[in-house]
Order: sequence, then C-alpha cells, then structure tokens
Amino acid sequence: MTIRTGFAILIILAAAVYTAAQSAPTQSAAPTKPATPPPAPHTTLKVGDPAPDFNLPSTIVDANSKTVRYKLSDFKGKKNVVLAFYVLAFTGG
Amino acid sequence: MFGISMDSNPANKEYAQKIGVTFPLLSDWKREVVKAYGIYDPTKSDYAMRTTFVIDKDGIIQHIKEGNEAVDPTSAIDACNLLTHKKATQ
Repeated sequence: MTIRTGFAILIILAAAVYTAAQSAPTQSAAPTKPATPPPAPHTTLKVGDPAPDFNLPSTIVDANSKTVRYKLSDFKGKKNVVLAFYVLAFTGG
Repeated sequence: MFGISMDSNPANKEYAQKIGVTFPLLSDWKREVVKAYGIYDPTKSDYAMRTTFVIDKDGIIQHIKEGNEAVDPTSAIDACNLLTHKKATQ
C-alpha cells in the first residue's frame, strides 16, 4: 500500500465516521407520553333515578348527647336533599 | 344538605368542628352508601369519588356533579333553586 493509497483510505474512513456521527440519532428525550390518568369512576346513577336510601350517623347530637341518625326516606315528600360526598376528612376534599 | 364521607363519626365530628360546617356530616363507615351510589372505587385503596347529588322531595335524583366540578357548589345551588322554583309554580 502506498502512502497515497493509505492516506486516501484514511480520508474515506474519516469521512465515513463523520457521516455516521452526523446521521446518528441525536440523544433526543424519549417521547413523553402524556400521563393518562386511569379513568375516574363514575356514579352508576343517573338523573331521574330514585336515590338509594340510607340511614347514617351524623355529626349532630341531640339534647341527650346522642348521635342523630339521618334517613333519606325521612325527607320524602318534605324536603329536597343535597348529598355532597367528599373524599375523606382532613384532605381538603 | 348533608356531607357524606367514609370517615368514622368521631373523625367527622372533629372535622366539622374544625371547618365550622353548618350542615350535618354523615359517616358511611361501612361503605354501604358510597357503593349504593356507585361512587366507590375499589381499584384505588378505599376511595370514593367526590360527587354531589341533588334529590327532590320524591326521592328522585335531579342533579349530579362529579369530580372537581362537585367542589363548586354553584351548580348544586342552581339545581336547588330550580327545584324550589318548580315547587312554587306547582
């Protein structure tokens, strides 16, 4: 191999390395998939459905310091009722 | 107007006192009501969806708001006003 040939090969090699470096995929950040939260649960009830009855202890105490229980059916024919389900106390919910 | 959570009643009492709530908080300790209303999520650890229901005098659900929308009581108040109005015109 003559020096000239060796030099030519070297140049070709260098060019090849350079091209490879250029076309190498750049270190791009992995495509960030938007974090899709799991589907939130939805109530199985619809507007127009009868509201399931309940009978639950409340934060209200009567004159005898006894916890007052509330039944939804007690309000039937008397009052409209708003039920606000909140996550858990002390969570700001 | 009732607030319902799965807290124990003593925890609710403390919470009610702390936030000065003016309506009764109900304790669904046994998770029966959240299940009956279809808002209990067993996939998360013991979690019920924040939801507001407006129920009319006949026991029929007239309005449902879920998730973060349920934090804003405006729509529930609107639904109540609508029911009151309905009553007045009947």
